[in-house]
Amino acid sequence: MTNILEAAFAILIFPGGLFALALGLLLKGVDRKFYARLQRRVGPPLIQPALDIIKLCTKETMIPDSANATAFQLAPMLGLTGVLVTAAVMPIGGVWSGVTGLGDLLILLYLLPIPAMAMMLAGGASSSPYGSLGFSREMCLMFAYEMPLIASFLAVAVRVGGADGSALSLDAIMSYQYLHGPLLLDPVMLPAVLALLMFIPGTMASGLFDIPEAEPEVLEGPLLEYSGPLLAVFNLMSAVKLTVVLQLAVALICPNPIGGSVVVNLAWHVFKCLTLLLVSVTCFRAATGRLRLDQGFSFFVKYTSPLALVSLGLAVMLR
Amino acid sequence: MSTTPSTYTLPVGPMHVALEEPMYFNIQVEGETVRSVDLAAGHVHRGMEALAMNRNYFQNVTLTERVCSLCSNSHPATYCMAVENLSGLFVPERARYLRVIADEVKRVASHLFNVGIMAHLVGFDSLFMHVMEVREIMQDAKEGVYGNRMNLGQCVIGGCRTDIDADTAAFLRGQLEQLKPQLDEIHGVYERDPLIRARTQGIGLLSQEEAIRHGVVGPVARASGVVYDIRAKAPYAVYPDLDFEVQSDTRGDVHSRALLRLREAAESVRIIEQCLDMIPDGPIAVSGMVTVPPGESVARTEAPRGEVVYYLRSDGSDTPQRLKWRVPTYMNWEALQVMMSGCQVADIPLIVNSIDPCISCTER
Repeated sequence: MTNILEAAFAILIFPGGLFALALGLLLKGVDRKFYARLQRRVGPPLIQPALDIIKLCTKETMIPDSANATAFQLAPMLGLTGVLVTAAVMPIGGVWSGVTGLGDLLILLYLLPIPAMAMMLAGGASSSPYGSLGFSREMCLMFAYEMPLIASFLAVAVRVGGADGSALSLDAIMSYQYLHGPLLLDPVMLPAVLALLMFIPGTMASGLFDIPEAEPEVLEGPLLEYSGPLLAVFNLMSAVKLTVVLQLAVALICPNPIGGSVVVNLAWHVFKCLTLLLVSVTCFRAATGRLRLDQGFSFFVKYTSPLALVSLGLAVMLR
Repeated sequence: MSTTPSTYTLPVGPMHVALEEPMYFNIQVEGETVRSVDLAAGHVHRGMEALAMNRNYFQNVTLTERVCSLCSNSHPATYCMAVENLSGLFVPERARYLRVIADEVKRVASHLFNVGIMAHLVGFDSLFMHVMEVREIMQDAKEGVYGNRMNLGQCVIGGCRTDIDADTAAFLRGQLEQLKPQLDEIHGVYERDPLIRARTQGIGLLSQEEAIRHGVVGPVARASGVVYDIRAKAPYAVYPDLDFEVQSDTRGDVHSRALLRLREAAESVRIIEQCLDMIPDGPIAVSGMVTVPPGESVARTEAPRGEVVYYLRSDGSDTPQRLKWRVPTYMNWEALQVMMSGCQVADIPLIVNSIDPCISCTER
């Protein structure tokens, strides 16, 4: 009974649910503001993403006649539910150690692609040729960025597991870092950290990898036909996905708390997420443009995956 | 157009974020590869040629200035030249210099706009913002000298409307001094940035033979090795007295067109400076009423996008019997079918933008 209550709290309030939504919208707001300042624009207020959601919710839901209405409406719900559940298993150093038995890298490998799959479903269901293009682009890119992700996960697991085999639970990975220092500072793991930093813009489709939703090319692809509350749900999904990806990266490479107080640790955690956001998403997309799909794919195959594999190889040799 | 089972239709336009103006491309796509392109136009036809035949010669100066905003000086200038050719008016020397200055100021702003949009299309919005900020120097120059940021209202039949006195000339020179280092920097960025090169080199290829076959004009022709510039081929105004170099390239891809535009912008800055140095004193327009005798005349100039031709026929009344113009985009857009064959969907906006299409000119 306690377990169920604990899980419900984790999914609905903290660290998933309300907390993840609020943090996601804040991160989106900071991203937009900082991006604008880098371009010498004033930029929108920090709460603009939240205001956008409210505005969209007041609009009518439009479903194209030729679309598959069920799948069209289901896709955003599926995506948001998926990321909220993923957010619930994210541990926060010194604040929350995750739902017992849930924080596992293998589970994450299944949960993380859900938003991308929701986008594919949306693109396919919308019956627009741009949606289909977005679908195929999303799928291609997903194959590309999942490779380095899996390799980085394995590298971390082997490094943490040491002689005993590999550690797949986030709990174990964090405990290891509390003892031995963050993996961010571990020279063996440096290539994998870089690969993970490239995975973040890849999965968030920003900067070089803004391919599936490229506005001038495929008119936002799968999102083209979405409007009103359904688009708001997709925006929320994207915000929570950003939180999830950044929190995962923090848990994997620098989860160490700063002090004894929960509040201080939570603020420290948010600060780390923000720093990671500014480095791997905001500055990255301000300094680059968009690659073509084939170029984006080969970027991950040529540069990112080998980086993660180098760490994995070193970790295996040194254990 | 027949659709084979492996291809599907990708409708680009008439409303599409990558197009600033309405135009419809029926594109047959196989996966991400373009198999064939069909163009359809006519969404912004405003009947301006018919309108021109219902207005007198002076009203038509205002009308032609409103054909398009980016080459809004080329149209009235060419129209005025056609009227002056027919009526045998001699435009004062000072006015000729003023017309060249107005033309080149507009050319710099137009070219910067186009290369800026290119950066936006490859998703490099920071560069887009930077180029537009640099273009703002030229917009301020226009506002300071002519009072307007887009339509200068500089040309009148037989001369110019706004004089550039010593103070204004100093202001314009100051703006050019600000612009020059920025233009150099932007050229360097476009030339060397790995992302810009990866996205724009080798796409939208137009060989010299194809360029000649389609009769393309302007920067599109010059980037494909066809050195055709009306300012040098059939010099008008004071271009024969000016020292400038016609820019050309032989690669004929999207990247070379953008670089060529930036080099032309730098050349335009030199031309404006020469004009400010050499401009003689004197009247800026002929005085008295202008009468247009019956007859025909033609005038052509080099607009930012290429050659603009105006044909005028008069029956001696105060309205033209026929006024017809041919704009560069009309010559260039058919070549899109060559440039876009076999390209990727991601390249479509870049290739379309590389001819700097002006739909409102073409459909008027």
